[in-house]
Amino acid sequence: MLRMPMPRKPGRIGAGCPSAWIVAASLACSGLATAAEPEVLIGASIPLSGSLASFGSYEQWGYNTAVNDLNTAGGLMIAGQMHKVRLIVLDDKTDPSVTQSNTETLISREKVVAMLGSCTPALVNAGALVAERHKIPMVTPCDPLMAFKSVRPWKYVWDIFFEESELGSAPFRMLSDLGIQTNHRALVLHDNGPDGQVVGGQIWPEVAAKNQIQIVQNSAFPVDNSQFTSVIGAGKSNGADLVLVDAITPAAIAIRKQLAAAGYRPKLLVMEKGAEPQQFAQALGALADGVLVGGYWDPSFPYPGAAQLAKRFESETHQSSSQHIADTLTAAQVLFDAIAAAGSTDPEPINAALARTNKIYVTGPVKFDAQHASALPIVLMQWQKGRALVVWPKNRANGTLLFPLP
Amino acid sequence: MDLLGLADNLISGVLLGGILALAALGLSIALGVMRLVNLAHGEILVGGAYLGFYLLSITGLDPLLALPLIGLLMALLVYPLHRLLLAPLGAQGPEAPMMTMFGVSIILQNAMLLLFSADTRSIDRPYAATPLQIGALSVPLIYALGFAISVVLIIAVHLLITRTRFGREMRASAADPRAAAAHGVNVRGIHALSFALGAGCAAMGGTLIGIAFSFSPSSGASYLLSGFAIVVLGGLGNIFATLVAGVALGLLQSLGGALFGDGYRELVGLLLFLLVLAVRPQGLLAGRGA
Repeated sequence: MLRMPMPRKPGRIGAGCPSAWIVAASLACSGLATAAEPEVLIGASIPLSGSLASFGSYEQWGYNTAVNDLNTAGGLMIAGQMHKVRLIVLDDKTDPSVTQSNTETLISREKVVAMLGSCTPALVNAGALVAERHKIPMVTPCDPLMAFKSVRPWKYVWDIFFEESELGSAPFRMLSDLGIQTNHRALVLHDNGPDGQVVGGQIWPEVAAKNQIQIVQNSAFPVDNSQFTSVIGAGKSNGADLVLVDAITPAAIAIRKQLAAAGYRPKLLVMEKGAEPQQFAQALGALADGVLVGGYWDPSFPYPGAAQLAKRFESETHQSSSQHIADTLTAAQVLFDAIAAAGSTDPEPINAALARTNKIYVTGPVKFDAQHASALPIVLMQWQKGRALVVWPKNRANGTLLFPLP
Repeated sequence: MDLLGLADNLISGVLLGGILALAALGLSIALGVMRLVNLAHGEILVGGAYLGFYLLSITGLDPLLALPLIGLLMALLVYPLHRLLLAPLGAQGPEAPMMTMFGVSIILQNAMLLLFSADTRSIDRPYAATPLQIGALSVPLIYALGFAISVVLIIAVHLLITRTRFGREMRASAADPRAAAAHGVNVRGIHALSFALGAGCAAMGGTLIGIAFSFSPSSGASYLLSGFAIVVLGGLGNIFATLVAGVALGLLQSLGGALFGDGYRELVGLLLFLLVLAVRPQGLLAGRGA
């Protein structure tokens, strides 16, 4: 499992496509070990192209940063010798079947000792099942916990993210906490991906019913859908004050534009998942103002290195920071801590060390439950003039809720 | 949904269909004139959206005003592609150019990834988020603008093909390239110009789509699919039939969305595509004029 660096054959990874360049860049960034230094190979298959590429770019930065920081500090102490970590990143092109084949390649051919996860249940779970089959430990962010737990009882895969029930109930809890009045009518649009089905198809209807909010229409659509005029028309004619959306970024952008183009202005617009990345606000300009999205991290949170991490990302990339840099960094650090604690690159000791994780990272405390999940608490963020501000709960807020939607 | 909402929805579908027809026109021209299945059509369309996006962000030029420039730029960009890649394959049958364009599609998608990143973008204009009120009816203004522009451009292409020497030579090259060549028509040159014309139309359609929706380097595939549905529905080489087919597809997709939910729009289009292929493979409106 430990490997001495060997000259790599040209084009061995991702030959013939830009991912080869991306991989080459990531290898360079991750600090290739100098000759004769033993190294620990870690694999990651993440969406660097396709509809989830916006998430993948943050993940790549988070993982690379964790590796670079570790290598700069000397690496991992294993069997009395320092080892550099080398991260091999492959592009899964936002396609679960590619995630599976990438994971298979990383484990079988590259002989990685552990894996870091992709993003969204469809991609993460696809790779996680391969890692589980090979009994290779994987730590993943970006996979909502109910979707993660529903796949199977995991033995080698560990997930650090939020609970969908927390996310789904957050807008309703915010309405109650802040005493916001609406007409108690909601329109729900959600994609038919695993998390979209859970949040939009199950949780929102259940929580709405408990809060005496009538759902005037609940529409599921394929993940890559771009036209929503029918359901928007239904929401407008029913005068729903609340619009709840769970969709990836391209669909979320299209929905926001079509809401405005239809002359439909709900009082509260929640767009889970798709409204998270900065490019959502960049693509929409002022139209993004007032859009709410669930979140789990902000640089203002009182965790070690939180503020510095965001500044570092922004100075290195000249982009606004995203919460995804924090959970990916945390996932990688949790894995590295476990390898160091195990003092071995064998799967079983690493896995046992992961089970014992109990430490505060940049995203907050990480401690896995019996189902291999560590939950991050949910906040609600709102886009205001190109920045995502935490507006709920009050004890975490760094901005004031813009209500009604401009 | 009430009757007014249904009417809004169906009219929106008709208007959007016009935009889709312009986007599909290039595919129809390539198939009709050159018998070329242009599998890079979606990437050319997305390229047009990027041209509109960067013209706006760099020069401040409104993409609607810049449409002719975008069409021209794309035509100039793809013209050498035909001369260098497709023309030498002229005698190799239809498979070689089709597979070449499949390769070009992958290369273009990856080139756009490297140049523009994989980020989802949208051309941010105020009219993209403004409703157009016509009495009690309300439709997206961008759909109405896009439809009007598409109809004008499709009529212009129709006139170019039916009323000019270039158009005559283009039709002659489509009907019988050897006979056209025997009569002094530069078939290879006509094919190159037809390819460029189709790409220009696709780029302009792509810009309209980029204003109305969002796009990324990987967005082209879905528009290639709807383009094929429109071309099959309308029949090869019939310019007005492409418009009618686009409108029909938009209308039926909207009807499908209203009846079964927005998630079934694409399904309706694909079912229609398969139905026409099975029942009338030459297209519903084939053989009814240019």
